[in-house]
Amino acid sequence: MKEFNITNQSSFKELQIIESLRTVLDPELQINVIDMGLIYHIDANPQSDSIKIQMTLSSSHCPMGEAILKSVQNRIETDFPGSEVHVELVWEPQWTYEKITEEGLKQLGR
Amino acid sequence: MNPLPKNTPGMYRLIVTHYLISGICFAMLALLLLVLSGNFPSHYFAPGTLAITHLAALGWGTLIIFGACYQLLPVLLECDLYSNRLPWVVLSLFLPGLFCLVYSFWVFDPGIHMQAAGVLLTSSVILFCVIVFKTAAKSTIASAHKDFILTSCIWLAATAVLGTLMVFNFKYAFLPKDHLHFLRLHAHMGIAGWFLMLIIGVSAKLIPMFLVSRSQPSKLLSWSFYLINISLLLFMVDGYIHGLNLKTHLVVAMMLCGLTLYLLYIRKCFQSRLKKKLDIPITKTVLSIVFLSLSVLLLPLIVQLSVQQSAWAVKLSSLYGMLIFMGWITALIMGQTFKTLPFIIWVKKYEHLSGKARIPMPADLYHTWLLKVQYFAYISFCAFFFAGFLLSNNVLIIVGAVSIVIAAFSYLGNVIILLTHKTTIQL
Repeated sequence: MKEFNITNQSSFKELQIIESLRTVLDPELQINVIDMGLIYHIDANPQSDSIKIQMTLSSSHCPMGEAILKSVQNRIETDFPGSEVHVELVWEPQWTYEKITEEGLKQLGR
Repeated sequence: MNPLPKNTPGMYRLIVTHYLISGICFAMLALLLLVLSGNFPSHYFAPGTLAITHLAALGWGTLIIFGACYQLLPVLLECDLYSNRLPWVVLSLFLPGLFCLVYSFWVFDPGIHMQAAGVLLTSSVILFCVIVFKTAAKSTIASAHKDFILTSCIWLAATAVLGTLMVFNFKYAFLPKDHLHFLRLHAHMGIAGWFLMLIIGVSAKLIPMFLVSRSQPSKLLSWSFYLINISLLLFMVDGYIHGLNLKTHLVVAMMLCGLTLYLLYIRKCFQSRLKKKLDIPITKTVLSIVFLSLSVLLLPLIVQLSVQQSAWAVKLSSLYGMLIFMGWITALIMGQTFKTLPFIIWVKKYEHLSGKARIPMPADLYHTWLLKVQYFAYISFCAFFFAGFLLSNNVLIIVGAVSIVIAAFSYLGNVIILLTHKTTIQL
């Protein structure tokens, strides 16, 4: 995930996108995709109004995979109307449990 | 990039049809158990027991496993299912075969209906194996899960073929040894070869997935695979030639070692889990593992009593069979249904709305109170029925049978609630 840069306009938008994605839950674990560590990269270009999200899934051929990708796409399109949203699924680096954030671990009951 | 699996409408119908029919079979099985409970047979080779056992093994256990496999094989083997049409052929051969077989056992008529049932079921099973093997051929991954699943299919086909031969043997008596001798081999190919192999293969992948387990020591699984299969092969060969004898203890010990390694694997998954809170479906899965352990612990005792030709050998063998089918397999299916079916329904009904509106989660699609009724009724069944059987107390058996009827109908009710769920959210 990118570091927040106060001098960069797109950083503010990326933060809004992160907050928006916190409402998208993994249907089984009921943890949001940010705290699950599924979102690898967000690129919000304020000039072109395009939003690119690079993300992964906890396992390939996950039966809920399509649903999670669609949720991310739908959420961003709803919260940022008029933006061109591209959600790209990547498998490198591979997702591991270490990618779950401290907040995510707390939600799992640790 | 791997394409993500997506259920076509036809595949969705196929899978939910399996869940529904197996739920109906569970209800029928519970009712048959209630009918028999007033005068429960103490020997497993009795018409009623054979009918109930085959309804449990095929209609309840195998049918739901077939349905779940069509959904889970792409996840476990990381490739698409070989065919979307062949499973319908499997089902259309399986159902008439199942009901013919159960009916002809119940009235004990080893004629044309029973023979036709054997042929239909074997054809269906062989086609199922074709689907699994062809799907596995497309898969590039090598894993213990894959070995377990493929081997389980071989054992299933062998079980069906031997079962059909035994059906024809009722009429034509061509098998070289007595029927009970082959029944033992048939039962163990089915229990340890098909159910145990398949369930280990699938649960070894799903349990850590549901628990978010950090540690999944696959070496334990590999050893478990070899020990269980070698012991089963030895049991088949030695059991065929000599029947149960003192050497069978060694075979059982090998089987127990294999199973212990699987249980250690599961324990490791539980210990290293990130998800601390266990829901009811997972609690039922734990209960099923307890039943599996209890039933296999009876094995050395059954072997010893059989060698001594004690009357208790038959009674304990029946208890062993009931712990397997009504304990291990039933608890596992009742638990895992509510871990898999809600997701299948959710994807169908809510995937397009996800992220656009506030929608229910998969666990919100069934009635939790009904799940609790099912859970407590099932616990009551286990306590009363098994105690009643051991103490030869008909009242306890009847209370147990009433409990399983409640558990089965609350299970079926919840499955129907899931299947008839309607999306009320409009955008």
